[in-house]
Amino acid sequence: MNWPAFVAMLKTTWQIWLQSRSFFFLLAFGWMIPPLVYLFVWSTVASDHTIGGMTQGEFISYYLLLILVNQLTYSQTNWTVGDSIRNGGLSLDLLRPVPPFYGTLASELAGKVVYMLFVVPVVLLLALILHPVLHPTLPGMLFFLPSLMLAWLLRFLWGYWLALLAFWATRADALLALQDSLIFLLAGQVAPVALLPGPLHTSAALLPFRYMLGFPVEVLIGHLNTTEMISSLLLQACWLLFALGLSMLLWRAGLRRYTAVGG
Amino acid sequence: MYYLRLIATFIRISIQEETAYSLNFFIGLLSALLNLGTGLLGLLVLFSQVNSVRGWTFSSTLALLGVYILLGALRGLFIGPSLNALVGLDGEVWTGRFDFTLLRPLNAQVMASLRHWRLFSLFDLLTGVGVLSLAIIRLQQALEVLHLLKFLIALGAAITILYAILLFFSALLFWSPGFLFTWIFDGLFQMARYPVGLYPGWLGLVLTWIIPVGLMTTIPAQALNGTLSSGLLVSSAVLAVLLFVGATAFFQVGLRHYTSASS
Repeated sequence: MNWPAFVAMLKTTWQIWLQSRSFFFLLAFGWMIPPLVYLFVWSTVASDHTIGGMTQGEFISYYLLLILVNQLTYSQTNWTVGDSIRNGGLSLDLLRPVPPFYGTLASELAGKVVYMLFVVPVVLLLALILHPVLHPTLPGMLFFLPSLMLAWLLRFLWGYWLALLAFWATRADALLALQDSLIFLLAGQVAPVALLPGPLHTSAALLPFRYMLGFPVEVLIGHLNTTEMISSLLLQACWLLFALGLSMLLWRAGLRRYTAVGG
Repeated sequence: MYYLRLIATFIRISIQEETAYSLNFFIGLLSALLNLGTGLLGLLVLFSQVNSVRGWTFSSTLALLGVYILLGALRGLFIGPSLNALVGLDGEVWTGRFDFTLLRPLNAQVMASLRHWRLFSLFDLLTGVGVLSLAIIRLQQALEVLHLLKFLIALGAAITILYAILLFFSALLFWSPGFLFTWIFDGLFQMARYPVGLYPGWLGLVLTWIIPVGLMTTIPAQALNGTLSSGLLVSSAVLAVLLFVGATAFFQVGLRHYTSASS
């Protein structure tokens, strides 16, 4: 890997991102609202008795963590990758002496830092007001970081291969909207996965979406025992390998097909 | 009469623009279905755990969801696209093209509010009406004429409030170009998905009286299940008139602040 080039790109994108931070703070605000709505709804429902074994305080800490993890794993670059293929911006990136993937990765990392500057203070403030209850277990804390890291990679690469479909179809970004809906339903946003009824619960456990968002939160909150954590982590890694392979395959095939639009 | 002819022309032009890409039809359909699916499944998950929350049963929350989809559809049909062309990303106020709009011999507010139509929002309008009808059937009451009348008044007030707030947020751009005020509202509007009563007291007050997004869906839904007091209905109608007059005046003041962005 060409490290100096990557570091230079990281610095530039970070400065570009910081320049228009109010814009990104607004985006982060918008992404925060849906989990916040369900935080309030479930904490109201659980105000006098536990729901599915979760108390009001546990719902609050679940959703506050979900807001953080959602922001850390959300890949806004997936939308821009497709755009640059459609409007021909990719041609410029291809001329550079580093793979375009570096640029995507650099803007992904820079973006995370800018979003966190907004989301972390807000979540801390909400935690002060709402009194979350958290009983983390030692294995949970150990497994949290690996599961979070894999969740981000999986969500990023899964969106990346969807975005690469722009080489073949001009409106492939509609699939990204579909992915967001599936994450909303199956990844623990509308309710913690354990509370989903029958068929939804089964599909949530098997499909990759829970492993992009809900799984790390469940790990930290102590909902899973060690065997469940290990088997889920393995499934997460399998989906990750699948997404990685598909991304590489589509990138190679797509590039051969790519004809620049515009100058 | 003149304005009606003008609106018909605006609609005709918008149809020509939108149907240029036949794929847009299916994408409009997909997004309407996703909107309906996530909304319905979200309610099913919630009510698989409880029978009612703070007096809201599945059926009356379903009515509220119908109102929410309906309002979102009306917004997406013309208010959203028109105001977005004015103050959104690369909108007329940013680029200075608003000069040409102001030069036309027509009320600037009418121009700004009615010019662009997104007809695929009619799919959302249909699903909204469908959900509402289903909710009315499930509420199992012979729909009294009085309830229906109250509902229509409440819905009219809600649409007026929605328009007034969006106009107000848009006009703020004349003072601070470059900040996407309407995006803040987008976030808050999502909170209207659930009854105001489900939020903690302080937030409920904010959503009722300060930024009345909660009011928009809660009051029409209450009219349908017959729990709406006449006092609340009258005050929401009065609020709608006040906000409409206030936002119109504010927009006029904003217009005078507009100092063209072109070179």
